Amino acid sequence: MASNPAIHQDVLCPFCGLGCDDLTVEAETGGLAVRSTDCPIARDRFARTPPAEPPRVAGTPVPLQDATRAAATALGGSGAPLVAGLGTDVGGVRAALALAQRLGAVVDHALSDGLYRNLAVLQRTGWIATTLAELRNRCDLLLVAGPDPAAFHPRLYERWVAPTPAFQNPPSREVVFLCGEPLDSPRAALVNLPVTVLPGDPARIGDVAAALTAALPDPSRAVGAAGIPAADIAALAERLLKARYAVVAWAASAFQAPHADLTVERLVRLVHDVNRHTRCAGLPLAGHDNVVGANQVCTWQLGVPLRASLGGGAPLHDPYRFAWDRYLDTADAVLWISSFRPEVPIFPPGKPVIVLAPPGTPFATEPAVFIPVGTPGIDHPGHVFRSDTVVALRARGLIDRGLPDVATVLTAITAALPQEAAAC
Amino acid sequence: MLMKLAGGRIYDPANGRDSAVGDLFVQDGRIVADPGPGAAPDEVHDLTGRVVMAGAIDIHSHIAGGKVNIARLLMAEEHRAAALASEEPCGCGGAIATPSTHVTGCRYAQMGYTAAFEPAMLPSNARHAHLEMADIPLIDTGGYLVLGNDDLLLELLASGAGEEAVADYVGCMLNATRSLAIKAVNPGGINAFKYNQRRLNVDEAGPFHAITPRRILTALAAAVHRLGIPHPLHLHGFNLGVPGNAEATLDSIEAVEGLRLHLTHVQFHAYGVEGDRKFSSAAARIAEAVNRRPNISVDVGQIMFGQTVTASADTMAQMGNAGLAHPKKWVMMDIECDAGCGVVPFRYRDKAFVNALQWAIGLELFLLIEDPWRIFLTTDHPNGAPFTSYPELIRLLMDRDHRLARMAELHPDLPQHTILGSLTREYTLGEIATMTRAAPARILGLADRGHLGPGAAADITVYTDRPDRRAMFEKPDLVFKDGRLIVRNGVVIALGAGRTHVVEPAYDPTIEAWMGRRFDKRMGQRLAHFRIAEEEIRGGNGLVRHACTPGAF
Repeated sequence: MASNPAIHQDVLCPFCGLGCDDLTVEAETGGLAVRSTDCPIARDRFARTPPAEPPRVAGTPVPLQDATRAAATALGGSGAPLVAGLGTDVGGVRAALALAQRLGAVVDHALSDGLYRNLAVLQRTGWIATTLAELRNRCDLLLVAGPDPAAFHPRLYERWVAPTPAFQNPPSREVVFLCGEPLDSPRAALVNLPVTVLPGDPARIGDVAAALTAALPDPSRAVGAAGIPAADIAALAERLLKARYAVVAWAASAFQAPHADLTVERLVRLVHDVNRHTRCAGLPLAGHDNVVGANQVCTWQLGVPLRASLGGGAPLHDPYRFAWDRYLDTADAVLWISSFRPEVPIFPPGKPVIVLAPPGTPFATEPAVFIPVGTPGIDHPGHVFRSDTVVALRARGLIDRGLPDVATVLTAITAALPQEAAAC
Repeated sequence: MLMKLAGGRIYDPANGRDSAVGDLFVQDGRIVADPGPGAAPDEVHDLTGRVVMAGAIDIHSHIAGGKVNIARLLMAEEHRAAALASEEPCGCGGAIATPSTHVTGCRYAQMGYTAAFEPAMLPSNARHAHLEMADIPLIDTGGYLVLGNDDLLLELLASGAGEEAVADYVGCMLNATRSLAIKAVNPGGINAFKYNQRRLNVDEAGPFHAITPRRILTALAAAVHRLGIPHPLHLHGFNLGVPGNAEATLDSIEAVEGLRLHLTHVQFHAYGVEGDRKFSSAAARIAEAVNRRPNISVDVGQIMFGQTVTASADTMAQMGNAGLAHPKKWVMMDIECDAGCGVVPFRYRDKAFVNALQWAIGLELFLLIEDPWRIFLTTDHPNGAPFTSYPELIRLLMDRDHRLARMAELHPDLPQHTILGSLTREYTLGEIATMTRAAPARILGLADRGHLGPGAAADITVYTDRPDRRAMFEKPDLVFKDGRLIVRNGVVIALGAGRTHVVEPAYDPTIEAWMGRRFDKRMGQRLAHFRIAEEEIRGGNGLVRHACTPGAF
């Protein structure tokens, strides 16, 4: 099998941030097919590989050089550009930040909502967190808070929870779902583990976390919250106290309540207080389309995370003002990067939009410039970060559709900028 | 192109030159021998009266990787207050204690440094650290791989594996992560913290694997020796910051039984319990032990007063310090069955007795340890202070009057608790050149750095000899990197990429079958994907390999 060039073994999947690197992918007529897993994200994304198409300017096919020149002209003439989406590998993010510095642009990632609910808390209070291999090998009690994160990370349980913890003796593990039902197919991965579901109002997860925190000193005095009875809160508080290494996992992008960062803050507080007695760590999950990698590069290069403006020369971070969907109204030109998925938002009319995305991406309105690009991990190698922020991985290229990568296109746009546009 | 640096006072301890007036010649980025009277240099710099040294090398500075980025995020206030606009040729960024990559490279270069090494690269975070280091302009970098709390090593030791198998494991990990040296951080302690143990004594078996810290320490020191890694085991010792920890530090020196050992930020490990405050300087005892044993080297980890942030893999120690956080927020992480990270913002106050004594203990160590080849100038950036405080630290070492004046401003009880006032030693320029250039290159095995002999990389710093040593070292006249002028009068005038220094010790690859199974079963990652390819480091440009000589060190 390994000698057949059409079958790729041990393929690294760059899409959801779990870092699965055990995929078997077959190249067949018309695209790629994942053979080794039912993961709907991997199956869908690897399969969507239509042939390359030429770039377009105002809907007309043009050579790449004409498209990058048109993009440079539109961006160079703007006063408040937005460089966003940022769905690309580390090399693409570096090129995007270099361009943004030249333009004095605002930068953000398409999926930064969940990330910022977490980062807001990290920046305000700090936290105690863990990584996926610690979850797999040491965790004896997994508390999943809110809607099942497996919706975003389908193989979470199969790869990181179902295996027996290697570094606990005895190697026990149980899973509790709090204010969220486990989805069917992920739940199948947990068939050999004790699973408890505590249904409650998913908009009030923070209240449950606060009730649990309050119950830690004396579980007998627990009060109910979000529809969960006091007795269940008390029992869960006791299990947290008895656990050797509890992990509280959540996907903040799924939280429904307004000011969802406050929900995260209460979960973080719970983790903190459990650590007065035993070990416990949080696992914030948010990693699609290399949002974690984009934030890492931005933080090391600029000193501040995404949702930053380079308009004044010095980096200025403001998670509210510079969120891309809010700044979209202010911006007078948009560069949108989405190399991991053929999906882009609907942009407000009246401003030039330049899109770098896979071939076949549908548009509600034809952008001023569309440049089809390859996908890291499919068309070219690229570095992406795992959801837990620690592990960077290198995905490899599988096929050659003749598509340029994001870094190459952005570097060409930067080189074609009019010299007077050197704002930063 | 031939360049002549004419008539400077050359401080080049590796080649026995101490204020020797002479010329240097540079060709293709390297120092070359005097080409003779017939040669016509394309460029001549008249350095008459100037002080000429090799580019400085920082052997211990947390400049890149996961914990540094967490520190940047946590220190949001500093990034708001000290954001920096770009000014050609420099890009933007900011901060002092947690500088962005661009600012890191520029600030080092502006002080005449041409290399800095990240001393705590976790295996699982190595790829990130390398990606980040590649974005630090101007200076060379490299990383020390943190081992000694990794469950794989502890499993190997618990299985009764011999010295050879441990060395093979260490050798494989060093190669796979493109590292320069091995660092042990509170060996066993970080792992024990994951089982809620908040303290672990040197001879106490840890939880689960039941291995003592002493066993881990000696196993790693032996592996370094066996593999012939130039840099000795780089040890962040036991009970960091805890009064009385000097006993464990002295014990570590004994434990390695004559093998080479580098004690890092030893200031934080030189505390006694004498006196009315049960907190005292043990610098004299540590210095005496170091002076007596040529196999031991140290860097100081001097503290300087002001706001900074402490970032360490030592979650056990950092959790103990978290209550002292200023501002009151901190991050702990358990990481990937490797180690952890603890990030705690901290403000050292000159009117606080404990902080004043820490300051004095660091200076006592500098002044009492006699051999400048075995003691290194560090603040454990940013843990003791940002690296930008080195010029002031150099002044404290070279200028006793300044030292005494500064001491008089500190907590009034300090003089009764330190012998600092009685120490008359003042470092010479030659000793500074040894401590910041020649010795770091030698102890890291960088044969072509840290000196100005033919064949060396032309990393050269030129100063005006000012009586105010801080002013002198803050703002060199000229800095050359690989023969290229990058800084003039303290201002960066050209950008460029540095290089990444690594060792690639030979090992028996049969260990990889065992490791591969462990990676599949434990880490959820293929060993093949864990391994960092050469083309991943600076796009395949800039890897510098240094020789390993098994058994030689």
